[in-house]
Amino acid sequence: MESNQNFLQSLGASLGRLAQRLWAGIDAYIKADTRRAAIIGGIIVLLVLSFIIRAPQPHVSLKAEPILAGGPSWFTNSLLTTFVVDIILLLVAFLATRNMKLVPSGLQNVMEAIIEYLYGLAESVAGRAAATYFPWAATIFLFVLVSNYTGLIPGVGSIGYYHNEAAVEHAVNADSQLAMAGGKLILAKPIAAEEATAEHAEFVPFFRAPSADLNVTFALAIATMVMVQVHGVRALGGKYFKKFWNTSGHGFMKGINIFVGILELVSELSRILSFAFRLFGNIFAGEVVLATMAFLITFLVPIPFYLLEVLVGAVQALVFAMLSLVFFSMATISHEHSEEHH
Amino acid sequence: MGAIANQLGITGGLLISQIVNFILLLAILRVTLYGPVLKMLATRRERIAQSMKDTERVSAAAREAEQEKAKLLEAARREAQEIRAQATRDTEKIAQDIRARAEQEATDIRMKAQADAKTQVETALSDANKQIADLAISATEKLLGRELGNKDEQQRLVEEFLTQHANGGSAR
Repeated sequence: MESNQNFLQSLGASLGRLAQRLWAGIDAYIKADTRRAAIIGGIIVLLVLSFIIRAPQPHVSLKAEPILAGGPSWFTNSLLTTFVVDIILLLVAFLATRNMKLVPSGLQNVMEAIIEYLYGLAESVAGRAAATYFPWAATIFLFVLVSNYTGLIPGVGSIGYYHNEAAVEHAVNADSQLAMAGGKLILAKPIAAEEATAEHAEFVPFFRAPSADLNVTFALAIATMVMVQVHGVRALGGKYFKKFWNTSGHGFMKGINIFVGILELVSELSRILSFAFRLFGNIFAGEVVLATMAFLITFLVPIPFYLLEVLVGAVQALVFAMLSLVFFSMATISHEHSEEHH
Repeated sequence: MGAIANQLGITGGLLISQIVNFILLLAILRVTLYGPVLKMLATRRERIAQSMKDTERVSAAAREAEQEKAKLLEAARREAQEIRAQATRDTEKIAQDIRARAEQEATDIRMKAQADAKTQVETALSDANKQIADLAISATEKLLGRELGNKDEQQRLVEEFLTQHANGGSAR
């Protein structure tokens, strides 16, 4: 009994000494470099806070959702954001060219740099035809870039409201939705109408990055691939379609040529898909990653992912513009001609 | 296909509206942004090329001027040297002239003085001779107590004698 007490006493004393020594060490550390200590302390505090202040479960929806409950189904949040992007671009165009000076400054300088870079890109890909292809590629780049970056603005995707009445409509609309459950992405079962009305009010954000909506990416992809055909016909006339239906050659070669034509057709169609899904996938996935990271650890951890998304947004815009330039100039190269070279 | 599209949220209306939106944006940006900016870029490129050409021309002109200056300087220096040499030569010549003239003058003056002296001496001598002759005659007359006849003849004789004597004296 007594020995037990002694043991506890000595244990308490040694623990006290240990705490004292630890505190002395911390004190010395703070005094050695106050700034570094403050930064590290701030990081620890933020990480601890991350487990106290939790971000809400991320709202993940594959589709763009109608904003107004009971309103028109076509008025989606991505459509609204598309208008915002349009307005931003038009405003930039207006402000950059309002008072042009030979010695540029400010926005004029920025836009000149971007446009000169894009024009240089068009020239490097298309050579003399650059002037024809440039507006398309530049518009793609600017629109996609701003679209991608709207998704990174705080509030886009997180400010919205809960639909109650719309839930019924939603349940019908959304057969199955991607949803977050316990930090895991699952394909959620369709929400039963009565359940939805009762408790699971549907959260609908006001804004959604246009490039995270397949309508937008498909629209850009289809328009671009149609434009590819237009440029092809413009450059080669009716001969352009020989690419898809080539009956030259004899016997076996004829069969091969027809098969190659079918392959060309398929590759043209697959380009639409790859265009649309590449952009959508990158941006949508980026938003999901950001939301998920914020949900798991509220502070600090999302920052590197955010920086990554800034990079991805620019790269995807450039890739879309670059590929459209490449396809434009590829379509204008005569197929027969290139075969002679082989 | 339709089911997939529905699940992905693709609807024909939205798709078409987005295509229209993009083409409208393209048309507007082409007029309001690309046109002016590309024009401005072209203008600036031209201006820079022009100013670079100008700079080149100006520097070429400056180089030429520099060469011209050097040439002029060289010519001026040579000329100055020539002038200096000429001046030195001229000065020497003038000095020589002056010296020669001075010498000449000095000589002239000396000669004239000599000549004057000589004439004066001669005049004095002849005057003296004449007086001596007169004295000699008058002395002779006094000695004889009468006037000598043929006075002129006698005077001539005395003078001749004196002259001969003087000549003989000087010869001695």
